[in-house]
Amino acid sequence: MLPFTSSGSKVVPRHHVSGYSNGYPRAGNTFEISPHRFQPRGTTPSHRRRRRLLVRLGGIVAICALFGLFVWPRGSLFSLFSFGLLSSGDDFQLETVRYYDLSNVQGTARGWEREERILLCVPLRDAESHLPMFFSHLHNFTYPHHLIDLAFLVSDSKDRTLQVLVDNLEKIQADEDDVQHYGEISIIEKDFGQKVNQDVESRHGFAAQASRRKLMAQARNWLLSAALRPYHSWVYWRDVDVETAPFTILEDLMRHNKDVIVPNVWRPLPDWLGGEQPYDLNSWQESDTALALAETLDEDAVIVEGYAEYATWRPHLAYLRDPYGDPDMEMEIDGVGGVSILAKAGVFRSGVHFPAFSFEKHAETEGFGKMARRMQYSVVGLPHYTIWHLYEPSVDDIKHMEQMEQERLAHEQEEKEKAEKAKKLKESFGDATSQWEKDKTQMQDIAMKEKKNEALAGSKEQSDKPDHPAAEALAKAPAKAPAKAPGKAQREEMAEKAENGEKVEKKGRAQEAEGK
Amino acid sequence: MARPMGPVRLKKTSPLTLVLGGALCIFILYFLIGSSTPDFSASRKATAASHPLSPPTSPFRKSTSTGGKVKPPPVTRYNLNNVTITHNPLENRENILILTPMARFYQAYWDNLLKLTYSHELITLGFILPKNKEGNAATTELQKQIAKTQQYGPEKDRFKSIIILRQDFDPPLPSQDEGERHKMQNQKVRRAAMAKARNSLLFTTLGPSTSWVLWLDADIIETPPTLIQDLAFHDKPLIAPNCFQRYYNTEKKAMDERAYDFNNWQDSPTAQELASKMGYDDILLEGYADMATYRALMAYMYEEGADIHHEVPLDGVGGTALLVKADVHRDGAMFPAFAFYHLIETEGFAKMAKRLGWQAAGLPNYKVYHYNE
Repeated sequence: MLPFTSSGSKVVPRHHVSGYSNGYPRAGNTFEISPHRFQPRGTTPSHRRRRRLLVRLGGIVAICALFGLFVWPRGSLFSLFSFGLLSSGDDFQLETVRYYDLSNVQGTARGWEREERILLCVPLRDAESHLPMFFSHLHNFTYPHHLIDLAFLVSDSKDRTLQVLVDNLEKIQADEDDVQHYGEISIIEKDFGQKVNQDVESRHGFAAQASRRKLMAQARNWLLSAALRPYHSWVYWRDVDVETAPFTILEDLMRHNKDVIVPNVWRPLPDWLGGEQPYDLNSWQESDTALALAETLDEDAVIVEGYAEYATWRPHLAYLRDPYGDPDMEMEIDGVGGVSILAKAGVFRSGVHFPAFSFEKHAETEGFGKMARRMQYSVVGLPHYTIWHLYEPSVDDIKHMEQMEQERLAHEQEEKEKAEKAKKLKESFGDATSQWEKDKTQMQDIAMKEKKNEALAGSKEQSDKPDHPAAEALAKAPAKAPAKAPGKAQREEMAEKAENGEKVEKKGRAQEAEGK
Repeated sequence: MARPMGPVRLKKTSPLTLVLGGALCIFILYFLIGSSTPDFSASRKATAASHPLSPPTSPFRKSTSTGGKVKPPPVTRYNLNNVTITHNPLENRENILILTPMARFYQAYWDNLLKLTYSHELITLGFILPKNKEGNAATTELQKQIAKTQQYGPEKDRFKSIIILRQDFDPPLPSQDEGERHKMQNQKVRRAAMAKARNSLLFTTLGPSTSWVLWLDADIIETPPTLIQDLAFHDKPLIAPNCFQRYYNTEKKAMDERAYDFNNWQDSPTAQELASKMGYDDILLEGYADMATYRALMAYMYEEGADIHHEVPLDGVGGTALLVKADVHRDGAMFPAFAFYHLIETEGFAKMAKRLGWQAAGLPNYKVYHYNE
C-alpha cells in the first residue's frame, strides 16, 4: 500500500531505490527522474482528517434528525429528506388561501384558446330515461372537456336518476382517454318538496305555470349558487331533454361574445302533426301589448307565453326561424328560454338570477332575461340556429296516437286475414292447378297410349271423343270451389288471385258441357 | 500487501467546530421545515377537498408529489338536504361564511375577527377588493395578516379557508373619503357598484356547505366576540345588529358614541308615497335631509341598558353587519344594482328577500362599532 509516493512504476520496490530489482546497482550515469525515497508520515494526512470530521458531523446530523423526529411531525421531516419525491399519497399540505382576479374571467369570443372555464348547469328531476341521450351529447362536445365544470341538481326524484348519473360521470372521469375527463363535477341533491308533477300535461297546463316556474327558478338558483366559482368565465344552462344539438354549440354561441345568448329551440313531430314545431316560446321580444297587460296584473302574477290566457303579441324567436337562414343572425330579445342558455359568468356574478318571485311580471328564465336587460346586459337569440328538443307526446297526442295505433292494428289484422284467406285460396286452387297438370300428363299419356294402340292395332274405328277421360278428371275441380265459398270481404281479392282457378273452372265447365 | 492501518493519531477536532456544525444543522433544518406550510389537525384534513377545483369554502390538498399523471377531479356529491341552519350553529357545526367588501384595510378589523369565539375551523372568510392603488395596498396588508394567522398562528386562530377576490370593474368614485362617499348624487352609482361587488363575492363563494352568511364591513372594528352565536340564536332569515360609531365629543370633552348605519329601517307611508311618484330608475335614500322619508330607523331605537336580545322587524337593512341564512341567498335574494322597488343594494336586498318570503329583523340594543375617520 503506497498511497503517498507517486511513481511511474509501482513495480519498483522502495528498498532498492538506487538499483534494479535484480539487486545490481544502477549505473551512476542513469538518468534518474523518479524520487523513489522513503519518507515516513509526519502528520495525519489532511484528507483523512477531513473524512474523520465528516463522520462526526454525520453523527451530529443523525442525532439532530432523531431529535427532530420527536420534536417535529413526521411528515415534513420525511419529505425533507426525500425532497418530496417519495411522499406517499396521504401526505399532503393544506392550502387554505385562494386568490382570484375576476378581471381574468371576463369571457371572450374565443374562450377555448384562452382556456376559459365553463360551468355547465343541468337541473334534473326524474330524468333517468333522458340521461343516456344527455351523456352522448356530453361525450361529443368539442369544447375542451377539462375546461368544462359540470354541476347537476337532482331534486325530488323518485327514479334512479342519481345513481345513473353518478355511474356515468364516474365512468367518464375514469376514462383512459384524458380528453374525455371533465373538470370539477358536483352533484347537488336538494328536495324542494315539489307537489307539481313533471309529466307533460301538468307541466304545460296553464294553471300550474306560475308556481311551477317559481319552483324551477328556485332550483336553478340553488344549483348556480352552489356551483359557481371565481374561476368561471361562462355559464351554460342545458336541459337534459335536448335531442339534437351541434357538437360545437358552446363555441358557436361563444363566438357571438354576448352576455346572454340562446339558440332557437324546435322539436321534431310525427308526420301526422306536421313534421316539426317551435318548442321554446320563452325567447321573445317585449311588446307594447304585453307591457300594457303587465300593468293590469297584480304584483305576484306571472305572465307565461304560449297560452291563450295571455295574448301578448310578442315576436317569438321560435316563429322567426328560416331553415335556410344565416345561423349567425342575431336578434335582440327580452325573455329567454331555459333549454340552452350561454351566459357570461359575470352576468350571474353581478346578481342576475332566475327570479323565484314575480319580477316585472315574469319568473324563471323569462325573468332572468328581463333582469339581465335591466342591468344593461346584451341578451340575444339566434333565430336560424336551431337545436331540437325531444318530442314528448301530450295527452291528446297520446290519445290520438292510441287511436292511430288501433287503426293501424285493425288494418294490420285485416291485412293478415286477407293474406291468410288468399293463401288458403291459393292452396286450394293451387291443388287444382297441380291436379290439372297431373291430369294433363295423364291425359297425354292416355292419348299417347291410344295413339300407339291405334297405330299398333290400326285404326278400325275413328274416335269421336279423344278427351273424354281427361274431361272426367277435370270435372272434380269445379266441384271443390263452391264448397269453399269466399267471404264477402274477400270476394274482390279472390277475383284477382284466383284467376287461374276461375279459368280452370270455366274451362272445366266448358269441357264438361262438351262431354255431355 | 502493506502495513495494516495502525492506530493513527488524529489531531483532535476542536469542540468549537462540532458545536458550530451542529448549530448550523439545526439552523438549516429549522428553516427547511419552518418554511413549509403548517400542519393541520386531522379533522381539518378530513374536510379538505382533494382537488383545487372545489368549493372555495373548504381548503384543498396541495399535491406534494411532482411525478405522475394528475388525476381528474372526482365526482363529488353534496347533499344540501343535510345542511342545517339552526339557532345553535356551534353545536351543529354549521359553516359560516364571513363576507367583506374591502377598500381599506384596518388592523382593528382583523384583530376583532380573530377575537370571534365561534370555532375558526368553521369560518370561511371572503374578501373582494377593487383593482386600484388603494385596493392593491389593502390587498398587500390583508395578505400579510392572513399569512401571519394561517401560517404562523396557533391552529385555533386559523380560519377554515380564505378567499381573496379582485373586482373586475373599477370603483366609480376615485376617492373612498367619507365626505365624497356620502354625497347624495354619488350614492346611486356608488351603491350600484357596491351591490355588484357584494354579489360577485357572494355568488362565487357561497358553495354547497355554507349555513350562514355574515356580512361584515371592513370598517367594523369592534363587535362582541360572540357575535355569530348571538345573532344566529334568534334564528331569523336576516338579522342586523345596530351599528354605532365611537367619536370624541368636543362638547362633553370625552369619548362618546353615535348611531352610524341608517339603512336599517321600518317602512313609512311617506316613503311609500314618495316612491310611488318616482321615476322607474330612481331610488329612495335614507339619512338625507332633502328626502324626508319618516321611516322608523333602528339606529334611533337604541335604549341604554335594555335587553340586547330585543327584536324588531325591518323592511330595509344595512350591510355593515348582517347575518343571513344561506338559503335566503340560495333562493336568489341578492343585492340589486338597479332600482328594485326604488331601493338599491342592501335595502333592495331586504325587499327582494321579502318577495321570496323571508322577513328581516333587527336588534336595536345589540351594538357593533364602525371605524371613525
